Amino acid sequence: MAESIFRRWNQELTMAGAGVLFLLPLLAIQPKTYLTLTIAGLAMGMLLFLVASGVSIIFGLMDVLNFAHGALFAWGAYVGFSVFQLLMKWVEADSVLQNLAVFCIAMVAAMVAVGLLGIILERVVVRRVYGNHLFQILITFGATIVLVELIRVFWGPNDEVTTVPLTFSGNWDIMDVVISRYRVICILLGAIVYAVIQLILKKTKIGTIVRAGVEDRDMVQAMGHNIYLLFTGVFAVGAGLAALGGLAMSIFSLQVYPDMGGTYLLFAFIVVIIGGLGSVTGSLVGALIVGLSYNYVAYLVPWAAAGVNVLIMIIILLIRPTGLFQAGK
Amino acid sequence: MSGPTPVQIFHMEEKRKQYRSGSFFLKISLLALFLLVPFLFPSFKTVDLAMQIIIFGALVASFDILLGYTGILSFGHGMFFGLGAYCMAFLIGKYGMPSYSNLILGFVVAATASAVLALLISLLTLRVKAIFFSMITLAIAELAIVLTTKLSGLTGGEDGISFSTPGIFSVSYSMGEFMGIEITGKIITYYFILLSCLALFVAMLRFTHSPLGRILQAIRDNAQRAEALGNKTFVYQSISITFGCVVAALIGALYAMWMEYVNPESSLGVMTIMLDVLLMVIIGGMGTLYGGIIGAAFLKITQTFLPDLQSLAKHLFPQSELLHNILERWLLLFGILFILVVIFFPKGVIGSLQEYRIRKKKI
Repeated sequence: MAESIFRRWNQELTMAGAGVLFLLPLLAIQPKTYLTLTIAGLAMGMLLFLVASGVSIIFGLMDVLNFAHGALFAWGAYVGFSVFQLLMKWVEADSVLQNLAVFCIAMVAAMVAVGLLGIILERVVVRRVYGNHLFQILITFGATIVLVELIRVFWGPNDEVTTVPLTFSGNWDIMDVVISRYRVICILLGAIVYAVIQLILKKTKIGTIVRAGVEDRDMVQAMGHNIYLLFTGVFAVGAGLAALGGLAMSIFSLQVYPDMGGTYLLFAFIVVIIGGLGSVTGSLVGALIVGLSYNYVAYLVPWAAAGVNVLIMIIILLIRPTGLFQAGK
Repeated sequence: MSGPTPVQIFHMEEKRKQYRSGSFFLKISLLALFLLVPFLFPSFKTVDLAMQIIIFGALVASFDILLGYTGILSFGHGMFFGLGAYCMAFLIGKYGMPSYSNLILGFVVAATASAVLALLISLLTLRVKAIFFSMITLAIAELAIVLTTKLSGLTGGEDGISFSTPGIFSVSYSMGEFMGIEITGKIITYYFILLSCLALFVAMLRFTHSPLGRILQAIRDNAQRAEALGNKTFVYQSISITFGCVVAALIGALYAMWMEYVNPESSLGVMTIMLDVLLMVIIGGMGTLYGGIIGAAFLKITQTFLPDLQSLAKHLFPQSELLHNILERWLLLFGILFILVVIFFPKGVIGSLQEYRIRKKKI
């Protein structure tokens, strides 16, 4: 009893400590800039959450570390890019409805296309190496090469510039604080996805089975559920989330390029190590930590921005080797 | 109670056959071939190709100590290779001058720095899970590239550092003619690197055949059982990782000596060097050490003659657009090959051959 209270307090203390840490940059940054940076950091964190949650769920349930997630992310960005190209009129139209429609179509197209790709990947390649971490990493790494090269074959090897839907671009100016509209949309998108995932995991039967699978796979199988079907489904959902992240990120950074998956996969790995492999909430917290600290440090000491996340990851590994949250929570 | 035990008899039998077996002659003739390359094919392109095969063969063998003998996949092996290359470039190039003492110091610094870094990473990650090692080395390797590119005042940035090697290794040095070939500094460097790589390779062979190497294989095959038998898995894995990384750094320093140039892409790159190394080790065979040479030879020769192949294909089939596109994207073919080899021949060329020989013996 005492131990559990201590543990709960421990978590709240950690939260409070983290909160203070994230107010620290205020000493060096103007409050208005700080707010802008915070919004940017939250937006980046939410996009990273989309990628990291897929990696995390797939690992938690299937015990597969998917190195091909970055390539799926890039595929999502490219499919969205193609949809935008096709419906250029709607993208450039000065109407919220049309912009929203094209954004939704691109999201659905990217998620469906990459989800199917995920199913193929799981069935053809990943299924053969269940239970062997080394071969999983090797084979998904090989799949990354193939997928990235296929992007080069289909869309050409060069960087492409993406367009932001007209009404999504620009800024709001609230009390002299500049807030980019698209960043707010990203934050909303991430929050909605998190809510939906939590609802599915906590309230539906499938979600219960998935959570049970994270705790004990053999037992779920013994209860008569087809765990392999579940694996394929979760892999497809994870791929779809990566595609969503890729699409949102390509609009965020205004470009798509074949190798874009690599960088964000690294961020996703750092996020899941901080948050704990197998935990969706952990992915969210980890992603926000990474997004915020990256933006603050990039403003203060530009060259150290890439290093600060690795540093945080190392500190977390030292004090809590399994990450902030437990798997399945 | 006297008389040799069956195991001792087996060992004696092995020793007696050691110098008569076919594989022994194969190894000797391979070494002789590499020794004769500068005289048989004096063109720089061929010598460079042979050197690349030797250097990458040794690098892949050092990677194999981690992957094949310890069961740990590191994406930071390219980083350690680059660390060695940059140590050498700093000491005889940017912050020093070309002298023999600096050359030796370069090797020492490369070994020390990589040993410290490898120990730190393994201490951090191995106590959690072995797969964390893959993720974290990938992150740190990427960080190393970013830092090397951004801190251009310190490291030369994307332009890299070019330098010249000291004394008898320098390009301008000439020792006179021998068998109709001028012995330049480049050829002396070739032999120096060949012999150094040979020494490193023998050291790796000794390492894997030592009792320590046997324990490592036991840990790889069944970590729990190895631990239950009283082996400290954590300590042994750390030692093996450190050894592999130090060898990689030394090979990196040798590579810098050959190229006389380092830059982030060619010396540190995750997607350039690591990809090559992974392909080589998978094609050659994990856990064999010799497989590295086969893999390196296959990949380097293919890469060297790929432009010729492309123009040949264009010449033979001028209409086939598809073929041209595929040959332009040769990495796609390598990726598919990679997946197929992992699925169907997880032991690679050498491993499959060994298996075939053992099966034949039993029948």
